[in-house]
Amino acid sequence: MPKTIAITGNGAMAEAMRQINPDVVAAFPITPSTQIIEDFAKFVADGKVDTELITVESEHSAMSACIGASVAGGRVMTATSSNGLALMWEMLYIAASMRQPVLMTVVNRAISAPINIHCDHGDSMGARDAGWIQFYAENNQEAYDNMIMAPVIGENMEVRLPVMVCMDGFIISHSIETMEIEEDQKVRDFIGEHTALNSLLDTDNPVTWGALDLHDYYIEHRRGQQEAMYRAKSVIEDVSMRFGEEFGRKYDLFESYCLDDADRVVVAINSVAGEIKEVIDELREQGEKVGLLKIRLFRPFPYAEIAQALKGCKIVTVMDRSTSMGAYGPLFSEISNALYDAEAKPLLYNRTYGLGGRVMLLDDIKDVFKESEEYLNNGKVEKMFDFLNVRGG
Amino acid sequence: MKDKYRLKKWQELPPGGVITEGGNAADYETGTWRTWRPVWEEKNCIHCLTCWVFCPEGAFLLRDGKTPSGKDRKEIRKIDYFYCKGCGLCVRECPVNKKGAKEVIQFVREET
Amino acid sequence: MSKYFEIRWHGRGGQGTVTGAKSLAEAVQGTGKHVSAFPDYGPERRGAPLRAFDRFSDEKIRIHTPVLEPDVVMIVDPTLIGTKGLLNGVSDKTIFVVNTEKSPAETRKALGLDGQTLYTVPANSISHRLFKREIPNSAMMGAFARACPDVISLEALLEEAKHIFSHMLAPHLVDKNVEAIQCGYDEVETV
Repeated sequence: MPKTIAITGNGAMAEAMRQINPDVVAAFPITPSTQIIEDFAKFVADGKVDTELITVESEHSAMSACIGASVAGGRVMTATSSNGLALMWEMLYIAASMRQPVLMTVVNRAISAPINIHCDHGDSMGARDAGWIQFYAENNQEAYDNMIMAPVIGENMEVRLPVMVCMDGFIISHSIETMEIEEDQKVRDFIGEHTALNSLLDTDNPVTWGALDLHDYYIEHRRGQQEAMYRAKSVIEDVSMRFGEEFGRKYDLFESYCLDDADRVVVAINSVAGEIKEVIDELREQGEKVGLLKIRLFRPFPYAEIAQALKGCKIVTVMDRSTSMGAYGPLFSEISNALYDAEAKPLLYNRTYGLGGRVMLLDDIKDVFKESEEYLNNGKVEKMFDFLNVRGG
Repeated sequence: MKDKYRLKKWQELPPGGVITEGGNAADYETGTWRTWRPVWEEKNCIHCLTCWVFCPEGAFLLRDGKTPSGKDRKEIRKIDYFYCKGCGLCVRECPVNKKGAKEVIQFVREET
Repeated sequence: MSKYFEIRWHGRGGQGTVTGAKSLAEAVQGTGKHVSAFPDYGPERRGAPLRAFDRFSDEKIRIHTPVLEPDVVMIVDPTLIGTKGLLNGVSDKTIFVVNTEKSPAETRKALGLDGQTLYTVPANSISHRLFKREIPNSAMMGAFARACPDVISLEALLEEAKHIFSHMLAPHLVDKNVEAIQCGYDEVETV
């Protein structure tokens, strides 16, 4: 039986790590992800896991050590946030291109400057092209579930890619919420043993990792990496289905909430989806045909499936909690791409919200739907791109 | 070129740019880099193996032999031009060459 | 109970207000409800005013927004009385639980309350007596059980608290904190 407990998002991720029992964890603390490694360090000290915990001097070193340990054949995990993720930048690409299934929680936090500890998605969105599978979560239960699925997906022989499991800083990481923690043995049975691939420590089969790769091979290696991302999508569908059968919580590539007959749809990522659902319930009671498409998997991005899900809706508001300076938001760009081939294109526009932890209240969400109603009634989008809840308009 | 060195399609590559054959540097023909060729004169050689120690490509091949007093030793057999890249270290380090009276390793232009 | 039962705590950094809010949520969770608890995080400084929130429900809790219209306001530090924001979003039905040595009548006047139900508890005195320092959160939890027995009974709170505290405190402090809950409950005054 699963245990129903009240626990913070960070606590839940530490529990997932304890259950996964990785061979190596290398980490450097940064708010708001620090508690994950603090809790995990306690599990190490108490002998509850067999993990070798490496306390390094920077996030760059943390990811470097993770890559080394993974290439040596271990199951490897870490956690970080914000500028810590930024400092890993070089090594994020190397982990992915060396096809090492490193597992990492990213507790989303705004990137400096100015320095800010609160939530937005600028950190993980900045890493979206690094080659990591990226999951996003509305609450601590989803973050935990994504992490339990992460090793099964990343270590699949058709995939062999690192997996980033993202959740909102403070809003999820530091809030206690009721959730279910599954039994250790059931989780371990679900995940299975780690299988090393071309391990450096397999001295009977010596290999070279990190060799020079010029114009004769680099593009072939990148092509193969892209293919692994394509294949990951169906592996994620399979693993999610198996997870649902085993633990009763069903996950698709994204979540559709009241989407079937919706005229006005909001597309969003992470915790704000909870607030949006609450508002949708209220508006639905008043007969408004509103819905939500919540992103779970951002890389690989399920273009065709999302286009299919948005078929029939009349207006789509894409809410980005990060900026791509000089461009539309990262999520908007993907949704826009997904809809390019759609037969009946809905009206589409982009709103940036919540940067640096700016709170979105339920009334703010209602305003979003009010605006989309106006646009739909007028048959055109007034402002393609705008910030919400910003002083000065 | 052997089929082994045919440029592979992306589908044929193991993930992550890993090289799964150990010691495959032996297949690499560094001899193509050579513009000057060391030529070994067996009759002048004292088999001190200094050239063998210094050669960065392991191009000096050995054989079993005897010292003038009859003890077992390793002797130079030949230079393997598949590997010799013509760096000239052997020419410079040869102790017989250094004395100047005789030459064990001559350095000659590849261009004839 | 409407869909969500919401509590807003007002305290100062270093008094255990956030721990109090989280421990209360864990205790209520133990009675089978869905809960969430979270602070209004900023740069944390000892003595700086802070807020923490609890949300309880029979259903899954989806929202993460700060509590705007509290069912209960918990004032953990008496020196906050008179500062801004304590009465934001309160209704006639909002219940106040205040840590103070003063009488309910005096406190009602100081807070400027109308008809709201008010409970006072000398949580600082209780804390000094038991811990020789000011950590009023456990006594406040006891006072909450007195103010809102429908949300959690004293018996359930004591039972859950033993369990919760044992994960974070040394054994002798577990007993002391459980005693503080009992004292908080017993020493509540109202009008």
